[in-house]
Amino acid sequence: MAAYIIRRLLYTIPIVFGVLLLTFILFNMVGGDISAEIAGKSASKETIEEIRKERGYDKPLFFSWDSQFVNHFENALTFNLGRALDREPVIDKIKRGVMPSLALTVPMFFGIVIVSVGLSLIVAFVRGSIWDVLTVVICVAGMSIPFLSFILFGQYFLAYKWGLFPIFFSPDLATAQYVALPVLIGIVTGLGANLRFYRTVMLDEMRSDYVRTAFAKGLGPGRVLFKHVLKNAMIPIITRIVLAIPFLFLGSLLLERFFGIPGLGYLMIEAIGSRDYFVINAMTYISAILFVIFNVITDICYALVDPRISFE
Amino acid sequence: MRIAIRSIVLLTTIFILLAVIGCDGSGSENDPDEMILRQALFNKIKSLDPVSMRDVYSATVSGQIFETLYQYHFLKRPYELIPLLAEEMPQISEDMLVYTIKIKKGVLFQDDKCFPLGKARELTSGDFVYGLKRVADIKNLSENWSVFDNKIVGLDEFREYTKTCKKAEDVDYSRPIAGLQMPDDYTLVIRLKRPWPQLIGTALADMVTSPVAKEAVDYYGEDIISHPVGTGPYMLKKWHRGSYIELVRNPNFRGELYPSEGEPGDAEAGYLDDAGKIMPFADKVVWTIIEEYQPAWLLFLQGKLDTSVIPKDNFDEAITGIGELTPELKQRNIHLKIFSDPSTFWLGFNMQDAVLGENKPLRLAISRAIDRKRFIDLFFNGRHPIADGFIPPLMASYNPKIKEKGYSRYDPNDARKLVEEAEEIYGGKLPKLRIAMPGTDTFARQFGQFLTRNLNDVGIDVEIDYMDWPTYQEKLNTSSAQMFASGIVASIPDAEDFMGIFYSKNKAPGSNKFNYYNAEFDKLYEEIATMFDSPERRELYQKMELVVLEDCPAAFLNHRIAYVLHHDWVKNYKPHVFQYGLSKYRRIDTAKRAEYKGR
Repeated sequence: MAAYIIRRLLYTIPIVFGVLLLTFILFNMVGGDISAEIAGKSASKETIEEIRKERGYDKPLFFSWDSQFVNHFENALTFNLGRALDREPVIDKIKRGVMPSLALTVPMFFGIVIVSVGLSLIVAFVRGSIWDVLTVVICVAGMSIPFLSFILFGQYFLAYKWGLFPIFFSPDLATAQYVALPVLIGIVTGLGANLRFYRTVMLDEMRSDYVRTAFAKGLGPGRVLFKHVLKNAMIPIITRIVLAIPFLFLGSLLLERFFGIPGLGYLMIEAIGSRDYFVINAMTYISAILFVIFNVITDICYALVDPRISFE
Repeated sequence: MRIAIRSIVLLTTIFILLAVIGCDGSGSENDPDEMILRQALFNKIKSLDPVSMRDVYSATVSGQIFETLYQYHFLKRPYELIPLLAEEMPQISEDMLVYTIKIKKGVLFQDDKCFPLGKARELTSGDFVYGLKRVADIKNLSENWSVFDNKIVGLDEFREYTKTCKKAEDVDYSRPIAGLQMPDDYTLVIRLKRPWPQLIGTALADMVTSPVAKEAVDYYGEDIISHPVGTGPYMLKKWHRGSYIELVRNPNFRGELYPSEGEPGDAEAGYLDDAGKIMPFADKVVWTIIEEYQPAWLLFLQGKLDTSVIPKDNFDEAITGIGELTPELKQRNIHLKIFSDPSTFWLGFNMQDAVLGENKPLRLAISRAIDRKRFIDLFFNGRHPIADGFIPPLMASYNPKIKEKGYSRYDPNDARKLVEEAEEIYGGKLPKLRIAMPGTDTFARQFGQFLTRNLNDVGIDVEIDYMDWPTYQEKLNTSSAQMFASGIVASIPDAEDFMGIFYSKNKAPGSNKFNYYNAEFDKLYEEIATMFDSPERRELYQKMELVVLEDCPAAFLNHRIAYVLHHDWVKNYKPHVFQYGLSKYRRIDTAKRAEYKGR
């Protein structure tokens, strides 16, 4: 297994290099010189020139030991992510935003997975019944309502009118307090698509011979569902779950914005809006690394849950 | 597998328990008797270093931490400059080139670890000189340099010198500057290259010249943007960047007396109740950064914010058809303040554009095709006045008869005739025109649709280019936008800001994004630039406005009227549009706040 993991980790090197090359080309060649943006609205030409010098934009793009690409590559490898347009170190922004983002997305993610996998097992078991139809209808309806509507409704009624939750972030509040409502909204809105997906997976399994055999042997529904069906349905579930984990780091733009959660989702969107390439570049780079790592973890999990899959 | 599932269930249970235990909907409250000002900011703070400050939001916070030599009187109108860190108004030489400013003695910076033993020192004239040198130092990349460019003797040379330094640390701040002298610790002498009557308002009452302790700059280096060390009434306690800022009283603040004089009606309005009392009143000033209107509005109604603007979608909930507060808000003892904002918004024309620049009938046709009243009704709930010219009504130089000239009239029939005339000049059917629209949000798109329909109605084909702010700026700076939606808010109670944007030497990438040129206007601009405020100067402003309106480099759309709400526990809430350091005047009636029922 160790050899397999090492081999897979070695594969990540060209992928990360490719990401670095791509982001460099996109930001420096397609996006163009951003010195004027850094300098601001009323900056003089000389200020812009000074920024070009300071940030190294006056150096060749490639084909030199001191080229912009070599610097870009070196900075990425050493995690020297530079300073954002507002001159704050990018790493400080990310460090500050990562915990609030994860406090929002991790419980939301687990909430969605647990509720949707659990419910999908139940509705697959009672397939064709009124409960199954009702669940599908509610899921489709939930998916059709814009995410923003859930936020506005939740904030107005649950937080303002009924006072069950705080309306907005405040440093006086415990993390669990200010993320509770957005997590709840996130779970409710995320259920539709996930429940439908897992229901399909479970239905495929429920039609298998081993399920009939298990019931024929006299096993109860709980044991059949949770012991046998769930285990056999794990491959698509793991794929969906593990590959979603790196994106938890990116937070949730709308929830963060409406509830004032100082996370990375809004940081990223704001950086795109203001063309803060330093932040975008850092976030892309970190996301790429996480994505590659979790891909490896997915493959390892496959082998752990399914003995037919070998590390060879 | 089983372990994994159990771990997930355990983690989720812990989280839900935490959420439920902690969820009382209000959070831990501060001491109810503590006087806390709670406000919202609709954008993030970029920097708390005066040298790089250019946006309103950063200045709003910094204005409580830093002080300027002069400030605008809190109550008197028209706005009047008075000393703040200065002992008195400056002595100005006869040739208007030398300003001698006496500085108050005994003013201390806030205590900070950048000082020896953490104990602050006294403010001296050297701190102002240091501040101006920082603006000039190219290594600081100050956006504010344009304010001082070619104005103070020797400062441009200092800037040239900083360009020769390899690193920021190499710049020698002890180099003397002929135009910035310190005869003693409490006297500052500024020598100008040519008369600059706006020096006090534009520069010495502006945050950019606020003194920053050199020790702080040396100690914090580039991180000075988040470690403000000033002389003002408050100092930074917490800054959760992007979400929350908390200031507390600066114990070293010398105290300032609340004004005892105002304008007629101030006493009746209660603005003089605190006359002669020592400021600041509030113990803490807190801003929550809320970029969406709904949560800000709900927090205001809940009593967790002291003040609020009225979001467009909540206007009917707040204001009746006759422009008064609705009974529901009156019942909550909420007060409404309506005041003019020194702003003008327009659809600008690039005068260097081959189609528009040489075709005045076309520009006039566009201007007459826009139904400004409908625009204001649709987008601003009918609140704002039409801009008949570009000098806002708040300015002393506003021409009350400008409406009679009819430059902003809506006349689609006339516009159609002008289009025919324009086509003759162009030599055929006009090509499709393009408008650069900053933003891709709903407002921008609806505004774009409105303009398209108005112009299509008179036979002008138009396409809107929606773009993000940096792209928009780039288009304007490179003169590649044919038409553009834009506006300006004045920084001083003088129309000079509005004149500068039409001066030909300020063409793009400068502030004249119209690339407008008129020799007569330029001549008048150079004349007023060295004149102090006077009836003659105001007359020249009005003359300049007419020159521009006649050439039509823009279709002026509207000025802005601000509607602000505040709870009745907020005292001394007199609107002021030219100053940022206003928190010191505000007082909170904590008993009234405690009585408020928010839902």
